Amino acid sequence: MTTASLKGPNWGMVVDVDKCIGCMACVIACQAENNVPLNTQDRVERGRAISWIRVERYWEGDFPDSKARFIPIMCQHCANAPCEPVCPVFATYHNSEGLNIQVYNRCVGTRYCANGCPYIVRFFNYWEPVWPESLRNHLNPDVTVRSRGIMEKCTFCVHRIRRESRKARSEGRVLLDGEVQTACSTACPTSALNFGNFNDPNSKVSKMKDDQRHYTLLDQFATEPNVIYLAKVDTDRKVGAGEAASHG
Amino acid sequence: MASEVVATGQVAGHHALPAQIDADVVARELVATTMGASRRFKAIAWTLGILSIAGIVALVLKWIDQSDDSTRWGYVAALVTFLLSVTGGAPMVAMAPVFAKANWVRPVTRIAAMFSFAGVVTVIMLIPLVALLPPLVTEGARRRTIWFEAPDYSPHFWSTLGLVLLLFTGLALFYSAAIPDFASMRDHSTGWRQRWGKKLARGWVGTNAQWRTLRMRIGMFGTFYFLILVFVNFLITTDFGQSLVPGWRDAIFPMYHTISSLQAGVAGVVVALWAARRYMHLEKYVHVDAFWSLGRLLFALTLLWVYFFYSSFIVFWWGRSATDIATLDLLIKGPMMYVFIAGMLLIWFVPWWILIWNKVRRSVNGMAIGAAVILVGVLLDRIRIFVPAWSVPSDQIHERWLTKIPGTVYPDLFDILIMAGGISLAVLIIMLMTRVIPVLSVWQVQEFNLLAKPIKYMRGHATLIAKPD
Amino acid sequence: MQQRRPLDQVYTNRKLLNGQLDTPRWWLPTVSILGVLVLIGIGVIAIMVNKGLGVTGLSRPVFWGLFITTFVFWVGISHAGIMISAILRLTQAEWRRPVTRAAELLTVFSLLTALVFPLIHAGRPWRIAYWITPYDLGRGIYPNIRSPLIWDPVAIGTYLTGSTLFLYVALLPDLGNLRDRTTGWRNSLYTVLALGWRGNPRQWKLQTVGGILLSALMLPIFVSVHSIVSWDFAVVPAVEGWHSTIFAPYFVIGAIHSGVSAVVTMMALMRWLWKWDDFIRPEHFDALARLLIVVATAWLGFTFLELIFAVYGQDAPEIALREMQMFQWPWNMLFIIFLLCAYLIPVPMWLFKRVRTNIALMFWTSILVNIGMWLERFLIIVPGLSRRTPFVYVWDSYRPSAVEWTILIWSFCWVTFLMLLFSKFFPLVPLFEQKESQVFTDDVMIGRARVPAIIREAD
Repeated sequence: MTTASLKGPNWGMVVDVDKCIGCMACVIACQAENNVPLNTQDRVERGRAISWIRVERYWEGDFPDSKARFIPIMCQHCANAPCEPVCPVFATYHNSEGLNIQVYNRCVGTRYCANGCPYIVRFFNYWEPVWPESLRNHLNPDVTVRSRGIMEKCTFCVHRIRRESRKARSEGRVLLDGEVQTACSTACPTSALNFGNFNDPNSKVSKMKDDQRHYTLLDQFATEPNVIYLAKVDTDRKVGAGEAASHG
Repeated sequence: MASEVVATGQVAGHHALPAQIDADVVARELVATTMGASRRFKAIAWTLGILSIAGIVALVLKWIDQSDDSTRWGYVAALVTFLLSVTGGAPMVAMAPVFAKANWVRPVTRIAAMFSFAGVVTVIMLIPLVALLPPLVTEGARRRTIWFEAPDYSPHFWSTLGLVLLLFTGLALFYSAAIPDFASMRDHSTGWRQRWGKKLARGWVGTNAQWRTLRMRIGMFGTFYFLILVFVNFLITTDFGQSLVPGWRDAIFPMYHTISSLQAGVAGVVVALWAARRYMHLEKYVHVDAFWSLGRLLFALTLLWVYFFYSSFIVFWWGRSATDIATLDLLIKGPMMYVFIAGMLLIWFVPWWILIWNKVRRSVNGMAIGAAVILVGVLLDRIRIFVPAWSVPSDQIHERWLTKIPGTVYPDLFDILIMAGGISLAVLIIMLMTRVIPVLSVWQVQEFNLLAKPIKYMRGHATLIAKPD
Repeated sequence: MQQRRPLDQVYTNRKLLNGQLDTPRWWLPTVSILGVLVLIGIGVIAIMVNKGLGVTGLSRPVFWGLFITTFVFWVGISHAGIMISAILRLTQAEWRRPVTRAAELLTVFSLLTALVFPLIHAGRPWRIAYWITPYDLGRGIYPNIRSPLIWDPVAIGTYLTGSTLFLYVALLPDLGNLRDRTTGWRNSLYTVLALGWRGNPRQWKLQTVGGILLSALMLPIFVSVHSIVSWDFAVVPAVEGWHSTIFAPYFVIGAIHSGVSAVVTMMALMRWLWKWDDFIRPEHFDALARLLIVVATAWLGFTFLELIFAVYGQDAPEIALREMQMFQWPWNMLFIIFLLCAYLIPVPMWLFKRVRTNIALMFWTSILVNIGMWLERFLIIVPGLSRRTPFVYVWDSYRPSAVEWTILIWSFCWVTFLMLLFSKFFPLVPLFEQKESQVFTDDVMIGRARVPAIIREAD
């Protein structure tokens, strides 16, 4: 075994904002993959909708010369995550693969982590989750259904990572680049969302993240996110990385 | 019936207060202390005078040599804030009797109020700093300050004004409490002291109306002084420290300095009181009780210092956002790390372990050592804050946070001379003041004797302390 | 200070023990009504635990709301006890004596109430054992000591233990007194509780030393408790309005402000309800109000520093947050009420001695202060969370639900209920302190003026 394989993966995502068309396919895919309860009108109005990934639309410029921009935002799996040290019961912690893990069984629901998160990508189950009778058999057996009173958030589809790693191990080989894909990146029609291993210098994401357009969200918090954004390229106007970062 | 009555501190073996000293004797003896000067006094005064002159000359030379490079002026800024702390904080002790009705503090008030005169040195040292302080708008951009939309050069103007106002309020506080003593000098002194006493006493004879006015004045100037002290600490420390560093946002900073100023002020009073008691032979008037009470105060303030420091530290250290990290790197881990550690030890750790013992607090020399340690600690603390703050190049002042931590700035010869000279001048001014007016307030000592009465209580001795409204 | 009149010990005993030996007629109906209200409140809490936190008005991103506000509020109130008892004891302020017991009680009961709130506001309160006690050591699951939420129970637990001991030590002489005046089961109860108190010199010495030691030990805890509560907020850099270095002393001084005001409220009630006009006198209100002026002004100074340095950073999100907090409906209304109640109405009134010695006015102004201080915490916590972040999709506001309001009202009923229950069995004004103060104060003649004086031991 070489040292490279000992080092283990560092999972991350590169989001090419330039390619995002705001189609919301990732949102739906995530919802279906991860047993997220339906966001009814009441839940949305009460501000309790759960959506591990969201595509924010914002406007640039004044009407009528305004342009719609989209940016998908999910848990940034920060290396220096503000949500982790505040949890009194270690329900959220950082694992060796660069993932920010949420342990549902341990969570007591103080919601402190949610206050600590500057990206506001953590969700609290205010009610017991329910699904209509018609969706009875649609739940993904690989993903825990979260009871009321606990936090949840994007896991980078950790069950898929586990499944693929197990498969690779049983076949006695290392994971190949692109073998693990999250639900959102699979669903993305324009390849705006790219998932992969940053520790593998030859992976697609490792090559993409050094693009000169790269930036991270809210760098003033020094969170060192594992989600790297590539800035929008505007043909009319030059948008630097700094300017795009100041949006988020 | 036992209770938490705590002994009014007389040295063990002496039961009850010493025999009451006649008010007239108090006046004559205390006024006599101002006359003449021993050879030792003269020698010390000359030495301090020479050092002061050297300091002023060094300040002028430094201005000629380095006025184009503000990063070299951190030590002068540290000296200004140190002097502001000591000379500004000390007079606060002078107004305690008005508010807390504490009897022990009465003899101490004069020496505390005298520190106001040394405030002149703070003003002198501030002059070059005001000239070097960058304007609010540089290169078209407005830097972070407390002067949000105010006209350019607001900090320069208001900080100077505030400091001068503090000086004059301190002098007014001193003078309003000194009028009865000028009357005593008029009655008991000779020569120019008597003439000046007569002029300054302004017809004091001690009528009810005069006493009422006197107390009202002390109360008014005292309150006013405290408010100005807080305000000046707020202005000077933010304008001459915090706002020079990009991204440094510390809301507790002015309060930290105010608390530290009180700590330094009390420490200064203790050292001065120790010297006065020892070298002017005032053992009869300055009781251990005063040191003991000052000791508790100093101990409490020392603990408060570490509380305020920690309150600010933990928010940066735990929060660890980009600005938090940069601030800690600059002030604690960076260029002045060893000074920080030494300052921390001397301003808090060592005094804490000295002053925690009741035996030490009830001794004159022990208190003096503790207080001296604190004064050194305060100086080091100011150095570790203001030297790195000034060493940030002014072209970085508009950044969101400090990206490049500047290196350590070591003091040059000018800095050492200026610091030694500034402190010498302050000490010299206080020393010379003791030749002008009794170092213990005559009327307050008389009042002290009047209000505390030794009595026999059951089978023991006790003190009956009157608390007039 | 001149209104003192000599009271003989028989009178003092009879008057101050009237709660136990001669219970007033209003006591039983009041306690019954409060008991019913308390039960209703507990029922509502049970429903909330059963149904889930959906019954509150909380949302995303306002994850904390009225419960945490009320938690901070009650921890703040609890600072009254040590402020009055320990600090004033160490500084030998004579006027503290009749107030100490009530203040310490307020500390204990408000802490007990405060502790309820973080528990019930958690999503799964029944799992909180994970959080406070590391019972699962075998599996290597420890509480996360980096989390301020672990510091909280530690600090509050220490404070509660210390305050209870402090209260008990001060209660001993009075328990002995009650034991000697009761019969039957009450006598047995007091006999056990009095721990053989006979009032001999050795016992007095130990009681005094214990009191002083506890005072000195409690002071750092007193400061640390609210500091730690403030760090729940201050250490979080993501919420711009919270990440301020001034929070610790700011919260502590605010806690003293609200706590001492609560003591004033309680003293007025005690004077009216038990007719203790001879013991709780206008001069005590006068002294407390003077203290409050200083505390309130210091608190206002900290408030301004907090606000100034919030804007000082000139970061857009923080300025937007402050603008919302102060100038946008409905926060602007709350902000004005908060400033008026916490400072602008009461403090100028207290400047007049006529107000300071008027018990009714002191009662109402002290209530105003606590309304204001509750709003202060609310205005820090809620607008901080419902701030306009760069992510427009998560903007949301907060309106507490009926369940939350009911539980807030419950907490007040609960504290009052506990107090009244306590008053049935133990004296609310310490008898021995009262008598001691009679012994230790005297008048002296200075010239022709009669001046109040205090006797201090000289060794």
